[in-house]
Amino acid sequence: MTDCYDEFNLEDYADVEPLPIVTGLKDELCQIMYSEEYKQLMGLMRAFLSSNELTPRAMRLTARVIAVAPAFYTAWNYRFNIVVAIAKDRLDQEFQWLDEVTLNNPKNYQIWSYRQALVENLGQDLTLRGDLPIMDMMLDDDTKNYHVWSYRKWAVLHFKDFTHELSFVDKLIDRDVYNNSAWNHRMFYMKNVSPDDRTIDEEITYTKNKIELVPQNISSWNYLRGLYDHFKPETGHKGELLKFAGGFIDALDLNATADSAESLPEIESSYALEFLASEYATEGQLQRAKNAYQCLALKYDPIRGSFWNYKITTLEA
Amino acid sequence: MDQSQLRRARFIDSSLLGRKRSVQEQIAAEGGQGAAEEEVIPIMKEVETETTIDRQKVLMSCKELLQCEIEPLHKDFHREYLDYVLAQPLPPQMTALDASQPWMLYWVANSLASLNEEWLNDDVKIMMAKKLNVIGSSKTEKMGPFGGGIGQMPHIAGTYASINALALCGNIENCWDYIDRESIYQWLLSLKQSNGGFKTCVEVGEVDTRGVYCALSIASMLNIMTEELVQGVVQYLVSCQTYEGGFGGCPQEDEAHGGYTFCAVASLMILDALDQINVDKLLEWCSARQLNEEKGLNGRNNKLVDGCYSFWVGATGAILETKGYVCPIDKNALHEYICQCCQDPAMPGLRDKPGKHADLYHTNYVLLGLAITEAIYTETSQDGPVRSSPALHIESTTNTKLRFKTSGLSPINPVYGVPVVNLRQFAEYFHHK
Repeated sequence: MTDCYDEFNLEDYADVEPLPIVTGLKDELCQIMYSEEYKQLMGLMRAFLSSNELTPRAMRLTARVIAVAPAFYTAWNYRFNIVVAIAKDRLDQEFQWLDEVTLNNPKNYQIWSYRQALVENLGQDLTLRGDLPIMDMMLDDDTKNYHVWSYRKWAVLHFKDFTHELSFVDKLIDRDVYNNSAWNHRMFYMKNVSPDDRTIDEEITYTKNKIELVPQNISSWNYLRGLYDHFKPETGHKGELLKFAGGFIDALDLNATADSAESLPEIESSYALEFLASEYATEGQLQRAKNAYQCLALKYDPIRGSFWNYKITTLEA
Repeated sequence: MDQSQLRRARFIDSSLLGRKRSVQEQIAAEGGQGAAEEEVIPIMKEVETETTIDRQKVLMSCKELLQCEIEPLHKDFHREYLDYVLAQPLPPQMTALDASQPWMLYWVANSLASLNEEWLNDDVKIMMAKKLNVIGSSKTEKMGPFGGGIGQMPHIAGTYASINALALCGNIENCWDYIDRESIYQWLLSLKQSNGGFKTCVEVGEVDTRGVYCALSIASMLNIMTEELVQGVVQYLVSCQTYEGGFGGCPQEDEAHGGYTFCAVASLMILDALDQINVDKLLEWCSARQLNEEKGLNGRNNKLVDGCYSFWVGATGAILETKGYVCPIDKNALHEYICQCCQDPAMPGLRDKPGKHADLYHTNYVLLGLAITEAIYTETSQDGPVRSSPALHIESTTNTKLRFKTSGLSPINPVYGVPVVNLRQFAEYFHHK
């Protein structure tokens, strides 16, 4: 008797009649010219699906199908049922197999829902530490991979283990301060760990330093605004912060109405100006807010003109 | 690392991980330091990272194309690509789309129908309906729900694409009568999660705003929306809006993303619940998708422009426009990006960005995006089916403010991604069921 994790060998399926994988329609539309090997493999897959055999050889077949066609979600589902039936005490091996498939298919997302299904349904004894190596490696290779980040959030919440997250995003933001996925994950972390006032203030300082490093970065500005909106909604963004933002646009006089792009100076950050505009609007300094939006529309971010003009109309309302 | 991690890490072959780029830090020139200086974007202080290196390459090729004389949409040329795909079997490398066969049908047929209603001929419609019938039927004559191909499990995205494709077929050979609404409805209910989301597939599958959108699109078109089906869905969607203003895939502070944002906003439009979210933040986020230099849209902050977001984000803007909000997209600029950067004079079909090859997915969504730039969207008074969603009644009229000659594309519905005529005919048919 062979094992679930042995190599795939066609001879083990000699007794199974493959089912057709084409519709049999004459001149079928968008018919793919499958290789003979693919036809045979998928034909076997269909035969197994219809008999619903939950055996080691069925499991080996799914591994082969997934290696050839990782987006074939039906095989992932079938494999899940087999694991539940005959291999749920061998999760270590299943994750080893899955890690290899993951590394070979960085853009695939069946992998992550499969992983989630394993952890959720069978992984009573697992911890986040088991998931960290593969997640770290995948994100090291593709730092904005949406599926990995999304799975990571799910796993962190599932295991209620936030201990690795801050140092991990620190590293990624140091590597690429424009990585919006990393900034977003930082917000996910902050919102979940209920930080005290001192931590929030340190976080604000951290973000300001990153903005000083690169003032024209929407990710760090959004994060800064997000921190205030979520953790300090009552204080507004007054005083020191207005001064901080003002430092990036100091050549610009917001008390004067601009009439052409040519007359406007260079500034260091359009996002600083956007931030100031919204703060002035909140504080009731409507003329300055309006001037700021006009400058954005004229020169600093003109492609968003319709949005800036809309903001001006809300001031006049 | 503890022992168990090491054991796992053994299987991680670092050679598979590809190149690792070193990060150089430098402060770009602060502008105006002599004529020899390369042109810099007005905003100056920049650190060179993977993000800026990747963008710089794209920026250069886009800028070059944007300086050329404006191109019209080469409709006949792109038709060649689509007709070619329909005329013969697809090469073996298309096996990667084996689990997405209804999608291929929808992309091709919808691209043709968007280019010119007449170009999707009856022979193709008949063949398409027949193929979907085989994919979607198990034992009975009736079809639905649908999987990615023959013998594959039902999948919410496959069913979405199948229903859209069938809508494009008209009721040819009475194919609409074979759609099994009851089975589809029961199956959708079985995918519904306690948090208001929908799973893509019964056992192992994602639960995200995409699942919700597919479910609501299918249900509203087939007139099988019930209280039970939509209960808790608005709350689920609302909690996917992030601090940045766009929507993530799941309500766990996932990153705001153009595709998931479209799915959430289109769903809220179907449910007539756009007033439940922070629309100002959404407008801000959508407008920030458009890049001053490339003129096209990206899908997340600090990511690269991609023609497909002309639809995902462009349609989000169009939906907001329908509800009387400002359209956050500069349609003239987007039109320029599409015509200059998504067409390749040497190859028919439309592409993501310069340097990429055309494919069916991009051809469809870039064309839909272009149709959006050439239209204005309003809500019609609901003289049609009473129980149906306002999303089915969006009207598309010509955008008279476009600086360029329009391409004469079919008017499309931004919620469903199909031509208005086809959608209306389909929805009206099922309204009477």
